[in-house]
Amino acid sequence: MKRTALLTLVFLLVSGTPLLAAALTADDIVAKANQASYYAGNDGKADVTMTITAADGGVREREFTILRLNDGPENQKFYVYFKAPADVRKMAFLVWKNVGKDDDRWLWLPALNLKKRIAPGDKRTSFVGSDFFYEDVSGRGLDEDSHQLIEETADSYQIRNEPKDSDSVEFSYYLVWIDKTNFLPRKAEYYDRQGKLYRTVEALKVETVDGIPTVIESKASDLNASTSTLNSFSNISYNNGLQARIFSERFLRRPPREVTR
Amino acid sequence: MKMTLTDLSLRYPRTLLLLVALATVLFSLQFPKVTFDNDPENMLSADEPVRVFHHEVKEKYSLYDFVIVGVVNETDEHGIFNPGTLARIDRLTQELLSLQQGESGLPEVSSFDVSGQKIGQRTIDLNPQSSIQKTLNVAFNHEPNRLFDEQGQSAIIGRELIAPSVVDNIKQADLGSLKLEYLMERAPTSREEALVIRDDAMNNPLYAGTLVSEDEKAICLYIPIQKKIYSYNVATLVRNLTTDWPDTDQVYITGLPVAEDTFGIEMLVQMATSAPMAGLAIFVLLFLFFRNFSLIIAPMVVAIVSVVCTMGLLIGLGYDVHIMSSMIAIFLMPIAVADSVHILSEFYDTYPRFQDKQKTIRYVIGHLFRPMLYTTLTTIAGFASLGTTPIPPVQVFGLHVAFGVGLAWLLSMTLVPAYILLFVPQKQLQQLSEKSEDQTSTKPGGPLNRFLENLGAFSTLRWRPIILLASALIVVAVIGISRIQVNDNPVKWFSPKHEIRVADRVLNSHFGGTYTAYLTLAETQPGQCDCTENSEVMAAEAEKRFGDIYPEAVRTFQNKLEELKSRYKKISSQDVQRAFVELVHLAEQLDSDTTTVWNELADEINYLDPANLTVETLHDRIASLGHIPRKHKEALHNAVALRSDLTGEELLDAALQLTDSYTANSFVDFVYEMQAELTAPTFKKPQMLRYLEELQAHLTASPVVGKTSSAVDSLKKASYELNYLSPPGGLAEDEMVAYQQRNQSFNAIPDTASAVGQVFVQLEGMKKKDSLFHLITRNYEEANVWVQLTSGDNQDMAIVVADLEDYLTINPPPIPLKVEWAGLTYLNVVWQDKMVKGMMTSLISSFIVVLVMMMMLFRSVLFGILAMLPLTITIMISYGIIGLIGKDYDMPVAVLSALTLGLSVDFAIHFLQRARELQKESGSWEQAARQMFKEPAMAISRNAIIIAIGFTPLLLAPLVPYQTVGFFLATIMGVSWLATLFLLPALLTPLKKLAFGSVDNKDD
Repeated sequence: MKRTALLTLVFLLVSGTPLLAAALTADDIVAKANQASYYAGNDGKADVTMTITAADGGVREREFTILRLNDGPENQKFYVYFKAPADVRKMAFLVWKNVGKDDDRWLWLPALNLKKRIAPGDKRTSFVGSDFFYEDVSGRGLDEDSHQLIEETADSYQIRNEPKDSDSVEFSYYLVWIDKTNFLPRKAEYYDRQGKLYRTVEALKVETVDGIPTVIESKASDLNASTSTLNSFSNISYNNGLQARIFSERFLRRPPREVTR
Repeated sequence: MKMTLTDLSLRYPRTLLLLVALATVLFSLQFPKVTFDNDPENMLSADEPVRVFHHEVKEKYSLYDFVIVGVVNETDEHGIFNPGTLARIDRLTQELLSLQQGESGLPEVSSFDVSGQKIGQRTIDLNPQSSIQKTLNVAFNHEPNRLFDEQGQSAIIGRELIAPSVVDNIKQADLGSLKLEYLMERAPTSREEALVIRDDAMNNPLYAGTLVSEDEKAICLYIPIQKKIYSYNVATLVRNLTTDWPDTDQVYITGLPVAEDTFGIEMLVQMATSAPMAGLAIFVLLFLFFRNFSLIIAPMVVAIVSVVCTMGLLIGLGYDVHIMSSMIAIFLMPIAVADSVHILSEFYDTYPRFQDKQKTIRYVIGHLFRPMLYTTLTTIAGFASLGTTPIPPVQVFGLHVAFGVGLAWLLSMTLVPAYILLFVPQKQLQQLSEKSEDQTSTKPGGPLNRFLENLGAFSTLRWRPIILLASALIVVAVIGISRIQVNDNPVKWFSPKHEIRVADRVLNSHFGGTYTAYLTLAETQPGQCDCTENSEVMAAEAEKRFGDIYPEAVRTFQNKLEELKSRYKKISSQDVQRAFVELVHLAEQLDSDTTTVWNELADEINYLDPANLTVETLHDRIASLGHIPRKHKEALHNAVALRSDLTGEELLDAALQLTDSYTANSFVDFVYEMQAELTAPTFKKPQMLRYLEELQAHLTASPVVGKTSSAVDSLKKASYELNYLSPPGGLAEDEMVAYQQRNQSFNAIPDTASAVGQVFVQLEGMKKKDSLFHLITRNYEEANVWVQLTSGDNQDMAIVVADLEDYLTINPPPIPLKVEWAGLTYLNVVWQDKMVKGMMTSLISSFIVVLVMMMMLFRSVLFGILAMLPLTITIMISYGIIGLIGKDYDMPVAVLSALTLGLSVDFAIHFLQRARELQKESGSWEQAARQMFKEPAMAISRNAIIIAIGFTPLLLAPLVPYQTVGFFLATIMGVSWLATLFLLPALLTPLKKLAFGSVDNKDD
């Protein structure tokens, strides 16, 4: 598995680069960026320390392990398992991302001995109270926006994304800077209907893990509320051979080894 | 000496006029710098602890001042919950959220078609149509379209707007799933959809009684604004956006900020109309008395110059014009006029004797100097004493009026003589004296003169019944005073028919109340952790859970606890965390001897492919696992051997049931669980939340409190919805009841801190981010209860505060809590309390100062006391009336005591001073008394009438404080006039020996 990824990377580096030099359309670029940031490998696993900073500087920390499995070309499954703070220990989320239709979501609250399905809803809502949205964690459908390449510099592309259905989202447009070498988005800026910047999502640190360029620190900031959330990723691995079975309701109640160990 | 000022002005009249004109111009040049402040919060100084705390609370819980917009539909069968009304409310919400500044600088909102689709932007101009209003706005620097800050950001904080279209709703959806969305995701298109919204709203304890009224007839939008100064304009915007609404949907706008801001704007209108109208009325009255335009211009000039200079000084010194200082003109005018009326009155009556302006002036000033100086000093003392109150606007008001009074005196002594000398034509005065010589018996104002003379006879002859009557009145007044209700409510500063008052009444009848106070709770010693107690709890709990199965492990565990306890004697939260880390390590070791293997076995089972799984295949697969000890495998085989009826998933579940019974005994889980419970922040602890729940129930029981909301309400609602099981179809009635009871049992605070924490996490991730943190801090250490009162009366708030204090004493919290109030409604209570005490001390101290001054002026204790009598009676009677008619003792009323002190002592000084002089001249009190009721009584009466009637235009003002001042100025004048002219002669008659008997020519 690991070897395939490496081979892919080598292939991209050797044969891909000249191809890239040929004019890429904005749609090509966002498609590549989407692959690079959400679909790397067949599956992925990481421990996340989430630090939510309030306007007054107060800090809340959460630790969880996240598992991801690519399910076909576009669909994906996520398993999020909480380890800290003590009161939410063993709490779990299961998300089946279904591109083109509503996601499926489940929730496990161990202290209530409760499994609950969450009805599909707005994906641009806070992920466990942080400044990240569900959509930031699982990705935004490429077809939901129209993309326009505004600027190309030596090392990045700047893409302007405008929603096709402006009533379904709170932004009027957002700009994304995409790294030319690895196609990882470095920064996204969201502008409101008055054209004011009110939200940013940044990739603060990128490292190559298992041959795959990986964001290991990212930050979302809500400029209106003056809050921000920092996600630090560790113990990252790709192509772990995760079984699809893990991403089922059964494994909510009894979490998989992959997250408990 | 006493003539120095007047002599100078008579010698250089032109120079003096020039100087006065120059000063007036200089002071009036300050006017453009004016800033207004109508925020009652400023009744407390900015560093007042309770105010500082109020702002801390607002900051901590991201609370804002609200413009409250109520929509009431009384005609539809479902009240507000019909598609039409809800669609309008949705559109209004979207419009408010879309508010932005257009390129022209004017506000712009999105426009929508009938289906609610956005179709573009439209510009709104909030400038009034009427040109008078426009002029006033220009004059007072009020820009109706100012709805944006310097950066062009909307005054409305959109993300904090509370309206059905943008508040969270948590509800059951298909397949037993839970839906997190807005209460009104889109405007309903049918009655059924509208009723779903109704039911969702009514089923949410945070919304029923707050967002929607429980009678279903009203909805409130709470529009958070950046600063209170925007509230009037936001209210105007809402009125503009709802003008096309049908009459069935009534829109009401209220909230303390709107009331305060509206009051400020109307106050300016009053300043621009009431004071000039009072001035005009005084002018007319003066003309009626003196029938000489050139003569009566003098007091008007004195009044105008002193008002202009005083206001100029106030503005120039950088003070805001506040509700109190807006009344400076109104307070100053009667006082300024009074001095010059005394001079004019005397001048007018004595000119015929001298036939020379200079001589007459010298004569008049000569014997008016002393009483006028003293009346001025006493008035200054009365107002300056307000400078000792702890309320900044009242201090500023008192000191500036004191300045104005001093200035008015100076002008009376200098400007009036200079004016008469220069501008009053000798010829007119000649006519005047001819006229008066013609009718010596009836001087101008003849009937009044005759009346006064008769009155004089009556007062001196019938002194016994007068004193008796006065005593009776005092008794009644004391009863009235004892009934005084100290109370204030900015909304009640408007007259009852004002739209703000109407909105206040209507909305408070439908809702839990539009007056907000915040009750905050925080642990007295946060972060304190009792290690001894914690380790005892854990030791006991370990014994209880594992004592029978793993006695040895429990022993080890308890020994570790002992060791940790002695090591971490000095407790800090850091140490507690470290202690738990060590305990987890130990627990892992303990588990490795006991539950770890069971866990591994459970994992193996969990990962088994359920396809084609039978008891036999399960048996085979488990048997092949090398790392699982035999005895565990055997236990599993025994457990499932007889369940050959089960296959696949069901069989896995049965197998896991066994392993679960062992893995449940994990020390690691136990330690984490204990950590969650024992180190839980204050408001994740179930017992604290239950305490808060009961406290809220107690508060809500008060008749003034309409509603309380806290994080407990959100928590219970979320717990209910998470645990809800929808009953399957075809159940019998008793089974349905059982289902309902089961579901209802979850409408409660969960039993453990972990469960509480897990439910709260769901609330943190609602669609509207962080709305939970208006009610609880992010670390869950402090909580905020939003208390809604149906009345903004300070008195009612004070009752709630006192009642809670009693409750806390009787029901102390499980963990000591610091319980404090904040919120505008509460701030009002604090400054009111300060005001009452402050006014009391300032009244008493100025009373003493004036008494001493009187004794010095008359060089007699008796005369000093006599001089104080009319004002004492006036104050007692006017406050007695307030008590008897049930008018609240509010700020304007409190400040009136200073005016009374200043004005009613004047009459007594003039009266007594002249009485003494006349007595000396004539040698007989009876003779003197007769003389007294000629010129001196005339001057006093003219003054009383001018001031009492001159301020009646105030009664027409739409603002209650202005009406109050108008009414009480008349009362004060009337009572002190009566007290001076009846009571003083009535008292002097029996006391004449004591008063005049032994007096030699000591005086002058």
